[in-house]
Amino acid sequence: MRIGVFVCHCGTNIDGTVDSHQVAEEAKKFPHVVYATDYLYTCSEPGQQEIQQAVGEHDLDGVVVAACSPRMHENTFRRTIERAGLNRYMFEMANIREHCSWIGEDREANTHKAIELVRMAVAKVANHVHLHPSYFEVNKRVLVIGAGVAGMQAALDCADGGLDVVLVEKKSSIGGRMAQLDKTFPTVDCSICILGPKMVDVGQHEKIKLCTYSEIEDISGYVGNYTVNIRRKATYVDWGKCTGCGLCMEKCPSKKAYDYHNEGIADTTAINISFPQAIPKKATIDPEYCRQFTKGKCGVCAKVCPLGAIDYEMEDEIVAEEVGAIIVATGYGLLNMEELGEYGAGRYPDVITGIQYERFLNASGPTQGHVVRPSDGEEPKRVVFISCAGSRDASLDRPYCSNFCCMYIAKQAILTRDHIPDSEVYVFYMDTRSPSKGYEEFIRRAQEEYGVQYVRGRVSRIYPKGKRMVVRGADTLLGTQVEVETDLVVLATAATCAPEAEELAEKLRISYDEYGFYMESHPKLRPVETNTSGVFLAGACQGPKDIPAAVGQGSAAASKVLSLFSKDQLESDPQIAQVMELRCVGCLKCADTCPFQAIEEKELPDGRVVGHVIETVCQGCGLCTSICPSGAIQLQQCTDNQLIAEVEALCQAWRERSSG
Amino acid sequence: MAILDKLKDGVQRELEGLEFVIGWEQGYDPLHASPLFIRTPGDIDRLIWNPLCVHNLASYLPSLKGRRVGILLKGCDSRSVIQLLQEGLIKREEIVIFGIPCRGVVDLSKIKSRIDTSQMRAVSLMDDAVVIEIPQGREEIPLDDVLATKCLSCQYPTPLIYDHLAGEVLPPQRPTEVLYKEVEVIEELDVQDRLAHWERELDRCIRCYACRNACPLCVCQDYCAAESRNPRWLSQRAGVSEKVMWHIMHALHLAGRCTDCGECERACPMDIPIQRIRRKINKEIKELFGYEAGVNPEDTPPLYTFKVEEPTIQEREW
Ligand SMILES: Cc1cc2nc3c(=O)[nH]c(=O)nc-3n(C[C@H](O)[C@H](O)[C@H](O)COP(=O)(O)OP(=O)(O)OC[C@H]3O[C@@H](n4cnc5c(N)ncnc54)[C@H](O)[C@@H]3O)c2cc1C
Ligand code: SF4
Ligand code: SF4
Ligand code: SF4
Ligand code: SF4
Repeated sequence: MRIGVFVCHCGTNIDGTVDSHQVAEEAKKFPHVVYATDYLYTCSEPGQQEIQQAVGEHDLDGVVVAACSPRMHENTFRRTIERAGLNRYMFEMANIREHCSWIGEDREANTHKAIELVRMAVAKVANHVHLHPSYFEVNKRVLVIGAGVAGMQAALDCADGGLDVVLVEKKSSIGGRMAQLDKTFPTVDCSICILGPKMVDVGQHEKIKLCTYSEIEDISGYVGNYTVNIRRKATYVDWGKCTGCGLCMEKCPSKKAYDYHNEGIADTTAINISFPQAIPKKATIDPEYCRQFTKGKCGVCAKVCPLGAIDYEMEDEIVAEEVGAIIVATGYGLLNMEELGEYGAGRYPDVITGIQYERFLNASGPTQGHVVRPSDGEEPKRVVFISCAGSRDASLDRPYCSNFCCMYIAKQAILTRDHIPDSEVYVFYMDTRSPSKGYEEFIRRAQEEYGVQYVRGRVSRIYPKGKRMVVRGADTLLGTQVEVETDLVVLATAATCAPEAEELAEKLRISYDEYGFYMESHPKLRPVETNTSGVFLAGACQGPKDIPAAVGQGSAAASKVLSLFSKDQLESDPQIAQVMELRCVGCLKCADTCPFQAIEEKELPDGRVVGHVIETVCQGCGLCTSICPSGAIQLQQCTDNQLIAEVEALCQAWRERSSG
Repeated sequence: MAILDKLKDGVQRELEGLEFVIGWEQGYDPLHASPLFIRTPGDIDRLIWNPLCVHNLASYLPSLKGRRVGILLKGCDSRSVIQLLQEGLIKREEIVIFGIPCRGVVDLSKIKSRIDTSQMRAVSLMDDAVVIEIPQGREEIPLDDVLATKCLSCQYPTPLIYDHLAGEVLPPQRPTEVLYKEVEVIEELDVQDRLAHWERELDRCIRCYACRNACPLCVCQDYCAAESRNPRWLSQRAGVSEKVMWHIMHALHLAGRCTDCGECERACPMDIPIQRIRRKINKEIKELFGYEAGVNPEDTPPLYTFKVEEPTIQEREW
């Protein structure tokens, strides 16, 4: 084998603490190495040209680049050597930056380590074989999970781009959180007025198939060819017949059902349409409250429905859909405020959450936009907002910022002053976060134009005093204790991951962080991709974010899908596991261990059972190879033999050194 | 009815539906038992049951997958069966289990280290002693002195899985603390001494692979990675490094699976205390995953699953 080694300085990133030139000189002595050199920026155009040239001049058949993380540039250099006529898998990167120059200052020790890393990479390439990707067909349909503003945007962009979209939403209507909001910062335009038309577009788009009141049952397959089973939950109303006239709601005798859309500040009927602008505008029965279900008799809605749409016998239905890509846009949840004992949340009726307050402010909410105190229905004259209720609080194991609360508090404070001109508004805050366009000005307006009093400090306790509440806390700017008597307390409760986010992640085989938010593939460079190819993220499911950011991600995820689908066939990575059937003992431990269900049982003509890797499903993670007791399953280009060769190379270096 | 009679009775009744039943018979000398394959009612008379019935017969089962057989199991042996079931290596409906509540079996090497048995004439087994007649006279050894080490800390004297139980359920009677005693002694050595200890012990290994062949869970057998040239983990070189490597391989392939049955160590012709390595790993697995192999057929061995986060490992507490 004729191997070339190219050592990068990365400016001073590497050469600052590693003698790159010496690394190249040492590399010349390694077995198989016929050419070695160092260069200022190997990834630059001249740097790549040098590699191409050397391949020709020195008749190389394997290349090692000692530079940064393969995550960054492995593909860059693969393409380089392919242009030079080599098989692109005859390549290996030695990471002498993240693994070496950046982590120590001792130049001699670093140089030594870099030499060893290169030595190992050379030993590995010497055992490389030519690999060739195979190609498979793509099903150009896309599944979007979650129809909040991010999911809707993604669905619309995909559909406008000509793709068939299946949009699955847990609730009976699309819209997500934004459909609950009154106005939106920083322009204070009516939320449903800007969302409504988008909802209609989604509902009417001929390329979008809506599955509301539905959840993902399971997902199998791989990029380009997923099979998704969708559970369409029983609504007990035949939506084919229901026109959304609402007669049933008027007559339903069970009027104390929990109103999810209004966050429990009002009740609804057991059969209901969640809000007037709902899409689809269809009724559902909540069996927890419906008398037909709880008492076994009622049937009022069935009698009044002019179209005979009511069906108490309805059952959940599982529908299978075939898609080629998936966009996850399941949004966020809100911290159960009862976790915030010190604020008396859940105990005192006049301590409410921001989203509940949003419903009080909303003209289509249960109070028609009149802000009232839940305890006695009177108009509050003083309202206290508390930011970071459960966010940025390491003691609650939630050190992160919920991103949009500072801004919506300012919005709600302004709206309060608008609705009740003689009111006083206080905001207890840790610090205000307003980095986007127009945001800082918006908070200033709240303070300067609307006279909202911002008190910097944490609230330690809230307790009732007569009909009012007392908020006690520190003013850290003045260094004093403050006590404010108030009629209403609004908590900006922390944004959490969506309910059951982890379960969905397991089905999708994507990773999530310790709080349940989904992990992007790279925090800067691949913000809407996941590490499972074909699965993309949009909106607050990846981390709390406001509407503009969520919409932006919806479009971004759609553009990723459109570019993925711009090809008719996809290439499958050949660096996957492969079973040597001769060695396999058929124990199928590999199948148990594979996190992607990529291994199936296969019967050979002689009746022997062996493991078999499904090429397109395998992600090349290598877990199976570590569990296979007989060494029968091997990861291509990272085989046991290659690992042994790398260790051998290290030991060889050690032997040479110790023998002087 | 004595245990042996109950066993014979049970085998008699089940034999017709089975290809054979595996038990023990008297071996080539008074101190050895041998595995017995009962194919006809006439074979039943040869069946024995006593503290010399050391073999874990479950080792035969993986190779018998697909055939209907019966098997006699002690408490410890039953854990091998459970482990094999968990791993899908055998099928429950294909085997009939005759369970035996067991008070312990002897470790022949412990006897041999006390007396020269090469010219022994007879052996009789009392409740609490082994009596061996040798030319010099009659040697009576207290049973507890020659019981297998695993028996001295046995927590599962009654099989955990069976179709027929010969006798009453026997509650555990041995202390648990002694289980990891010898492991702890080695843990206390510093790294150099520990390496020296194992190099000394393992240098005796002749790589006959008897330990592997005896292990009920070593399913690869002839396909063992130790003998493979591709991948080539081990060479045929006779140095201690290759021997140590073999034992690392063996032990790691049993991590989270080994039920501490002791067959490996019993089979070793060089008297190498390899069960200690298994115990050390079993101890780690217990501490890490709260898992004990071969106890519950519904469990999955911790290393045979993939979880994004292990519930028992606090990865993020730094
Ligand atoms: C009180 C309050 C006021 C706010 N005010 C503003 C504001 O003025 N301006 C602003 O920019 N932002 C505001 N926000 C933030 C705003 O709500 C979010 O930015 C926005 O809703 C994020 O959209 P999304 O589509 O990512 O998530 P969501 O709106 O949460 O939508 C997610 C959707 O996915 C569905 N879903 C969840 N799980 C599943 C599942 N497993 N299967 C199927 N469907 C599922 C949900 O039912 C939901 O419909 C406010 C937030 C709060 C709490
Ligand atoms: S783990 Fe290895 S031996 Fe067992 S089935 Fe898989 S490839 Fe075959
Ligand atoms: S490398 Fe093995 S464990 Fe990983 S995805 Fe492929 S088959 Fe599954
Ligand atoms: S490794 Fe030894 S003690 Fe463990 S199961 Fe195998 S034979 Fe028994
Ligand atoms: S049985 Fe003993 S000698 Fe043989 S390979 Fe095992 S440890 Fe070595």
